[in-house]
Amino acid sequence: MAAKRITREYAEISESPPSGINVSLDNDNVHKWNVVMAGPEGSPYAGGTFHLSLTLPPEYPFKAPVLSFKTRIYHPNVTNDEKGSMCIGILKSESWKPSSKILAVLLAVQDLLREPVPDDALEAQIADKFKNDRPGFERDAKDAVKRWAK
Amino acid sequence: MEDQHNNVFELAEQRRLAQEYDAHLEGPMVGEKKSSHAITEEYARADPVYIAKTQSLPQTYSHYRPILGDGNCGWRAIAFAYFEKLLQLSDAGQFELEIARLVSLDNYIETVGGQDPSYFMDMTEETIELLKDLLALLDNPQVARNTLLERFNDNGRAPSIIYHMRLLAVSWLRGHAEEYQGFLDGSIEDYCTRDLMAVNAEIDHMGMTLLIDIFIKPVGLSVEIVYLDRSEGTEVNTHIYRPIDQSGVSQIGPMIYILYRPGHYDLLYKERSSYFVPHPAATMASNVQVNRATSFSRQHDIQQTQPTMENFSNVDIEFFSSIPGFCVPPPSNHGFPTEFPGFQQAYDPSPVSTSVSPDPSMVCTNSSSSSLSIATTFTPQHSSSLSAAMMSPQHSNHSSHSPFSTIQLPIHTLNSAQPQPLQAPLSSHHSPQHGDVASPPPTNSTFRPSKYEWEAIADWQEGPVIFQTSTFKNSHYNTAHYNNPNFQPEEWSPDCEEAFDSSGRKKST
Repeated sequence: MAAKRITREYAEISESPPSGINVSLDNDNVHKWNVVMAGPEGSPYAGGTFHLSLTLPPEYPFKAPVLSFKTRIYHPNVTNDEKGSMCIGILKSESWKPSSKILAVLLAVQDLLREPVPDDALEAQIADKFKNDRPGFERDAKDAVKRWAK
Repeated sequence: MEDQHNNVFELAEQRRLAQEYDAHLEGPMVGEKKSSHAITEEYARADPVYIAKTQSLPQTYSHYRPILGDGNCGWRAIAFAYFEKLLQLSDAGQFELEIARLVSLDNYIETVGGQDPSYFMDMTEETIELLKDLLALLDNPQVARNTLLERFNDNGRAPSIIYHMRLLAVSWLRGHAEEYQGFLDGSIEDYCTRDLMAVNAEIDHMGMTLLIDIFIKPVGLSVEIVYLDRSEGTEVNTHIYRPIDQSGVSQIGPMIYILYRPGHYDLLYKERSSYFVPHPAATMASNVQVNRATSFSRQHDIQQTQPTMENFSNVDIEFFSSIPGFCVPPPSNHGFPTEFPGFQQAYDPSPVSTSVSPDPSMVCTNSSSSSLSIATTFTPQHSSSLSAAMMSPQHSNHSSHSPFSTIQLPIHTLNSAQPQPLQAPLSSHHSPQHGDVASPPPTNSTFRPSKYEWEAIADWQEGPVIFQTSTFKNSHYNTAHYNNPNFQPEEWSPDCEEAFDSSGRKKST
């Protein structure tokens, strides 16, 4: 079930990839995808290139995929460390639905780069800065992009 | 500010850990069948209610099958029992029919359930594939049973079957929205996404009903839910869902037994009910057992409730009215439809008949120990609201908005002269009124006022009201005081006769 569905979803995304997103399999393993995402235009992350790792559990689609940033990023909803764990609504276990597809997950990540969700933050300091000092936040984010995501 | 964020984060983290912990429960998703005595042992140190209930459980349900409590247990239990029952019936034609039905339900899930077939077809295929595999193994029941158990414990395949159950429930709910909306607190959409379509959302009563309606009943199977909870009693309560045939009559088909403990479902079995014998006689045997269980454990059958209530309102009120101390609400409510208007007219204009009022009101206010014991005898079988009315010390007030009804009722029961065992002692007490209402009043009451005094207050608007006030109940006119060993008749003084019509003044004099 899992492999069949993942293979089909991979084929769909490969055939018509959404703008700014590229996917490939890690060592031909359908449960491990490499995702390359361009920082969306109009966001502080524009111009950066972010590598993400998408792991699909054997129970997929009954368990949510796990997504992490391999490229370090300055963002309220992504841990600012080498793990790059992220907190995104669609992937939370209580809201994950088997009808959700990987494409929708990737588009949600793009949205999260455009619109951080400071109330659901993993990095409280960055969330505070985003809420109280937006110019400062954007400056720091752009600096981080130059440092890590070029 | 930062602390607050950290707290929120920690809380979220704890919640996440709790959820992950739940997901790693021990044991197989569907276990091997065991003796039900295992449940008794499990609860040996629980509180007395559980001990009593689990001790009597194995007498009715010999075996049980544990289901993993990972949030899918109710769905899994129903799905597994469905396949197991089909195997037990071992009817190849029925398997073919079921395969066809589930294939056609895919269309229902898409059009009515509003789901995208590109994702759910994978799941429903698992269910249909299992049906096909079992059909191929019908000649070899042992292998078939093993295949079924293996498939339900296969983490790669079983979740699809279980999600198929959720999709069926969602589709049935959306297809019958108007029927179920009233049972939901929120919107149907919220309920579907939160309680039905989320992967580990436990089945609730509504989900169980939906799933049984769309998945189990059309096969002709019945489901008995056995509730093992802290409710009172020494036997478990049960609820039976049964299929309805084309003529609208509910049938008892082959039975699936599900054990419900708060938050968890397992499967139960009555092993004597012909395992793997698709013989008509076997079906009969299982029916007999079902009926026996019905009488043993208080079964709540919704379909039969209403007729019972109707009978109750017609028969029992009359009966209660013969009990001293019982006042029935106004006649328009409960089965006194026609006799009263005519009787009321004949009764009203006679000023003389007012003199009988003390006795009927005595009937209403009298709460002797004998009437109380009668009340308690009948309470368990009947409506608690009625018995509450009977027991209430202020029951004469219940009918105060219609003063006539309290007076008429005893007379009505006497006139109707129905053979009621409890009436015998009463009718002797009331016999003077029985013969002729308009005749000169009997002189069986020591404190009955003279006819001339009554003429001053012989206004029907006012007269009966006197006997409904708490003052009268406390007064010496209330013969109920004779039942009180502390009653002191000396308290009555003839000087207070003048105060009879305005009862409030009596105390102040």
